[in-house]
Amino acid sequence: MSVDARAGAGTLPLPNEFDEVDLVPVRTYWQLVRQRFLRHRLAVIAVVVLAILIVVSIAIPMATGIAYQKSSLTLIDGVSSLQAPLGYNEIGQNLFLRLTKATQTSLVIGFASVMLIGIVGAAVGSIAGYFGGWVDNVLMRVVDIVLSLPFLFLVLIIVSVFGIRDIRVIVLAIAFAGWTTAARLVRAEFLQLREADFVAAAKALGASPRRIIVRHMLPGAMAPLVVALSLGVADAIIGESALSFLGFGIAPPEVSLGQMLQNYKEYFYSNSERILYPAVVLIAIVMCASFLGDGLRDALDPRQRVEN
Amino acid sequence: MASYVIRRIIQAIPILFGISILIFGIVQLAPGSPVDRFRVPRVPPEQIEALIRLYGLDKPVLEQYTSWITAFVQVWRVDAWGYSFIDGRPVIQNILERLPATLLLMGTALVVTIIFSIPIGIISAVKQYSWTDKIITTFATIGYAIPSFLLGIYIWYLGGVVLADITRDLFGTQWGFPLFGRQSLGSDNDPVDLAFHLVLPVTALAIQSISGFSRYLRASMLDVLRQDYVRTAKAKGAPGSRVIGRHALRNALIPLITLIGLSVPGLIAGAVITEFIFSYPGIGQLTITAIGQNDYPTIYATGMLIGVMVILGNLLADILYGVVDPRIKY
Repeated sequence: MSVDARAGAGTLPLPNEFDEVDLVPVRTYWQLVRQRFLRHRLAVIAVVVLAILIVVSIAIPMATGIAYQKSSLTLIDGVSSLQAPLGYNEIGQNLFLRLTKATQTSLVIGFASVMLIGIVGAAVGSIAGYFGGWVDNVLMRVVDIVLSLPFLFLVLIIVSVFGIRDIRVIVLAIAFAGWTTAARLVRAEFLQLREADFVAAAKALGASPRRIIVRHMLPGAMAPLVVALSLGVADAIIGESALSFLGFGIAPPEVSLGQMLQNYKEYFYSNSERILYPAVVLIAIVMCASFLGDGLRDALDPRQRVEN
Repeated sequence: MASYVIRRIIQAIPILFGISILIFGIVQLAPGSPVDRFRVPRVPPEQIEALIRLYGLDKPVLEQYTSWITAFVQVWRVDAWGYSFIDGRPVIQNILERLPATLLLMGTALVVTIIFSIPIGIISAVKQYSWTDKIITTFATIGYAIPSFLLGIYIWYLGGVVLADITRDLFGTQWGFPLFGRQSLGSDNDPVDLAFHLVLPVTALAIQSISGFSRYLRASMLDVLRQDYVRTAKAKGAPGSRVIGRHALRNALIPLITLIGLSVPGLIAGAVITEFIFSYPGIGQLTITAIGQNDYPTIYATGMLIGVMVILGNLLADILYGVVDPRIKY
C-alpha cells in the first residue's frame, strides 16, 4: 500500500531511510498457503488425525500379514488382551487387526477413487470449457445424465452387475458415478480463464490447445479442484461403506468399515461396542476429510490475506 | 410460464433417453447373462436355449434396446416394463404397490425437515455466535458428517431396543417403536399403527436433511439480515418478530425452495438405505433386492423411475423459484 502511494507521488525513499516493505520478508505463494492453512486449527487437527490413521492402518496390517483373516474356535467372542485390544468377534477374529485393515481398505478406496475422479473430471471439464460449442454441449449433457441418478444407486448397479466384489471394481464404480461434480467445477473455471490475457498470449504464440490446457490453464483451475477432491474423499468412503453395509461391497475374508457394521442387529443385542469401533473410525475419517477441505479452501484462495 | 414448463419437459426427454442408454449399457457391459443362474447340471441346455430366445437375449444389443424402450414407454400396458425375474409378476404392478409407501416416507420426511429446519435456522441466524447458535451449528455439522446408514442403525437401536429396555425397567412392560415393516399384522390401513411404523424411518431420513437445510437457511438468513430493507424495517419501528417473520424470512426462504427440489436424489438414496434398515416395503427395498438378484427388468424400471423423480424435482425447483420470487421471469 505504502509503496503504491509513494510511487504515485513520484518520490523515492532516501538511502538512509528504511522502507517498511523491505522489513517484511518476501513470502512465496506456497509459504502463504502454509501459513493460512496452519491458522485453520480444525484442519491442522484433521491432518494430524488422518496421518495417525494412515500410519497405523499401513503399519499394523503390514506387520501382521493376513492375521486379520484368521479365525479361531477357542477365541469366539474372546475378551480383550494385549494381542487383541478390542477382543475377538463371533468367529474368533482379532477385531483390532480387522479394524486397522478395514481402515486401510476405506482409505485406499477413498484416495484411489478421488484420484481417478480428479483425472477424469479435469480432462472432461477442461475439454468442455476450452473448446465450448457442441463439444461442451455434448459433454455437459452426459454430466446431466449421470447426475440424474443418485450416486449410491449407480455405484450399486455397477458393482452388482460386475459380480466381482473387490477394491478395483468398487473404485471404478465410485469414480464412474462421481466424476461429474469435478468436471463441472473445472469447466466453470475454464470458462473464466478462457478469456484471460495469458491464454490469448499463449494462443498468439501458437501454442497447441493441449499445451494451453495442460500448462497454462489447468494450474489455474487446480485450487477449487483440490478442495472438491478432498471433500470427495469423504463421499467416496461413505459410498464404499454404504455399499459394503448393504452387502454389495468388500466380501469376507477381506474387510471394510461398512462391512464390519453389517451384523448390526445381532451386535446391538449383545456387543454394541462392536458397532462403535468402526463407526468412530468412519466418522473420524469423514470429518477429517471435510475439515481438510475447508482448510485447503481457505489456504489456496489467493484473495485471503495473512497478517504477518 | 406454461410454455416454460412445456419447454423444460421437452428438454428432459433426451436426458431420459440418456439415462435409459446408461442403465442399459451398464447392464449389457457386465460379464455373464441373466440365465447363468440356471446353468446347473439339472437344467438341460435346450431349456436354457429356450430361455435365451424367450428373453430375446440372442438378438443384437441395439435390437434388444429398441424393443425394450418401445415397450417401456407404453406404460398403460401392464407388461410394458416386463416381468420380474424373481417372482414373475409384472414389474409395473410391483412398483405401483410400493410407490405409495416410498412417497409417504419421503414426503413425511420432507415435511418434518421443513418444520424443524426453519425455526432452527432462524434462531441460529438471529442469535449468531451465541451459545444456542454454536450448539446448533455443531450438531448440524456432526449430523451432516455422519453417514446416513450409521445414523439409521443407531436410531434403530435407540428407538427400538434401548426404549424397550427403559420401558421394561420403568413400567414393567416392554414398549418400543416398531422396527420393521409398514403395518403390523392384522391392522391394515390403521393410521395410528402406520404412524408408529413411520417414526423411526422418518427420523433417520430427516435428521440429515434437517442439518443440511438449517445450515443453508442460517447462511441465507444471515445474508438477508444484512440487507438495507431489513434495516429500514427496523428503523421504522417494526417489532422484531415482524421484521424477522415478514421482511427477512420470506426472502431467506427463496433459496430453500430450490433446495427442496434439489434434495430429491439425496432423499432417494437415503430412502434406499432407510428402507433396507427398517425393512420398509418401498421402492428402495425393491431396488436393493432387484440389484442383489440381477433382476434386470426391475433394475431398468427402478432406475428410470428414479431418474424421472430427480428430473421432476429439478423442474419443480425451477418453477417454484419463479413462483415465489417475482423478480424472476421466464
